Amino acid sequence: MATATFFDPESSGFQFDNYARNQQLVKQGIKPPKLMKTGTTTTAVIFKGGVVLGADTRATGGNIVMNKNCSKIHYLAKNMYCLGAGTAADTEYTTRLMAGKLELLAMSMRRIVPVKSAVRMLKQMLFRYQGHVSAALIVGGVDMLGPKIVSIAPHGSSDNAPYLAMGSGSIAAMSVLETNFRPDMTAEEAVKLVRDAINAGVTNDLFSGSNIDICVITIDGAQVIRPYEQNQPEVLKKANNYTFPRGTTTVLSQGVRKVDYHIVSTEIRKTDEEPMET
Amino acid sequence: MNPFNYNGGVCVAMKGKNCVAIASDHRLGAGRLTVSTDFPKVFEMGPALFIGLPGLTTDSLTVVNKLKFRVNLYELRENRKIRPHTFKAMVESMLYERRFGPYYVASVIAGLDPETDEPFVTAMDVLGAGEVNEPFAVAGTAEESLLGLCEALWEPDLAPEDLFETLSQVILNAVDFDCLGGAGATIHVIEKDKVTTRTIKTRMD
Amino acid sequence: MGDFSPYDDNGGTVAAIAGQDYVLIACDSRLSTGSTILSRFTPKIYPLSKMTVFACSGFHADVLTLIKNLEVRMKLFIHEHGEEMSTKAVMALMLPTLYGRRFFPFYVRPIVAGLDRDGKGLVASYDPVGTPEFFDYVIQGSGENLVHPFLHNQIGAKRTLSDVPVQAPPGLTLDKAVKLLKDAFLAAAERDVYTGDTVTLVAMTAKGTETMEYQLRRD
Repeated sequence: MATATFFDPESSGFQFDNYARNQQLVKQGIKPPKLMKTGTTTTAVIFKGGVVLGADTRATGGNIVMNKNCSKIHYLAKNMYCLGAGTAADTEYTTRLMAGKLELLAMSMRRIVPVKSAVRMLKQMLFRYQGHVSAALIVGGVDMLGPKIVSIAPHGSSDNAPYLAMGSGSIAAMSVLETNFRPDMTAEEAVKLVRDAINAGVTNDLFSGSNIDICVITIDGAQVIRPYEQNQPEVLKKANNYTFPRGTTTVLSQGVRKVDYHIVSTEIRKTDEEPMET
Repeated sequence: MNPFNYNGGVCVAMKGKNCVAIASDHRLGAGRLTVSTDFPKVFEMGPALFIGLPGLTTDSLTVVNKLKFRVNLYELRENRKIRPHTFKAMVESMLYERRFGPYYVASVIAGLDPETDEPFVTAMDVLGAGEVNEPFAVAGTAEESLLGLCEALWEPDLAPEDLFETLSQVILNAVDFDCLGGAGATIHVIEKDKVTTRTIKTRMD
Repeated sequence: MGDFSPYDDNGGTVAAIAGQDYVLIACDSRLSTGSTILSRFTPKIYPLSKMTVFACSGFHADVLTLIKNLEVRMKLFIHEHGEEMSTKAVMALMLPTLYGRRFFPFYVRPIVAGLDRDGKGLVASYDPVGTPEFFDYVIQGSGENLVHPFLHNQIGAKRTLSDVPVQAPPGLTLDKAVKLLKDAFLAAAERDVYTGDTVTLVAMTAKGTETMEYQLRRD
């Protein structure tokens, strides 16, 4: 496609102009680089009158923590949020794209979009990409049919249940959910349960960690608590201060450039006086 | 081989008090061969906005040209300077658009918001996944060394001169162990009224 | 059994600093495999004799076997010569012990640290087949890449290109060394998922051995 290399505001969807080149590089032994993953523990539970969603905040690239406080609770609509695990870029963009579509749908329907519509749109999109968009999602929200949580695997299959867990820490989290879940809990009990489940993932799964974020959705609206809990902030205190004495580094050359004032607004006023004669 | 290891190079950015700094090394390689020792990977995108693009150099240059084109178009259309947050969204969407045939570049963005003077630093992977809430951002061949050094040496509220020292020590010691990086480094310290660009000596072999 | 591998990597980081009148050895205590933690408290420092300790990350089963082998050889030495092996002798013993398995190596990253007969600190590190390196400070394991340049910067005083970071400066007291290694492990635990739980620091001087423990991240 010749137009792909030019800026075209009308173009949409994925671009494949580098695809053949990259395949050729693979043949030469140059493999694609590591991607940022959210190893992740995400859980969701239904309580009496709403849902609670929870997630850890660690993003990893290989065995290195790339981000200690990333947000895995994504906005979909006023009554609906989505938890994302998998390739960081895929979860972020899939949910952002869907948030846009849901807003447009809500405007044209002139009512709250039901959770199941969002789920159907997401799973149809993920299925179309045959698992290549590696986003493992949990959608949670409250609509006219009541509270609802659904998990969606990267290939597009979905699961309905009163309590769900996803990501690499889901095994640890699910053990807590299986032991302590009860139907018709209060909001406080549900938040506590989700917190305990995420904490199990944070402490037992190496690719989950840092803080715990929580989102509570009822018919009255959604509340995102970020961070809900920080993991051991007290152990991070260093023994030394490592500020270097000025002049430590040998400078070879130095140049200073002034940054112009950023003019926020300009106003030109006409005066009533007669122009001066020249 | 990983495409990042072909041309080599690193980039790192750090937040200070009312200032940010961004640095890159100078080496350009072709595998184990050093082609140039005067090739900084940080590019200017506005008076107080820089982007570092370590990775496959052919892609870095393509991406930086496309970005400059879009930034120019944005500033003509909007008649104002682009904000770092907006610029980040621009980079992100350009990278994720190529989800199934990515540009092999990681990006580090550093800048001051033209309206609030708020420091801004972010790093992204090749697909455009990045967050803005960390005090430093790293990318490139010596990523692990840079991350460890930043974690240990970074202190909150560094003044511009102190930020320069810390960032210089970080990049100097990181490329000291990286045979695909080095050959000197450029450090830009961005303040609201001026940008100070300094070059330092690092390992040359 | 097609995909069976005789090796695993249990992660973890070990480090050591040799001073004029002390040697300081540090390790984290996490033992992990894949994405799970096997043990939160298995420090990777093992005393070999009064003057010598051994610290090792890598495949834990190989670490334990290697120590058994060393202990046997060290006991035989005592029976033969009527005295304990010196630290330098243990360092020399490592090479044949590891190289003897050149084609089915122990998957280990060992450090031998101790005091010589005058009470001066000695540190040696090895690769899995026994290549020795004698630096005054060393770090091995999963957090190695993160922290190694930090030690060069802070202990080796590598501040400009012309600084050659090999020797620990004489001014580096035990107290300062403890603080530096503690901070190094804090940084490693922040960013390396295989390093964490606690950092154990063993300080050896002519007067005796002191063990310190500090909390690291548990997530």
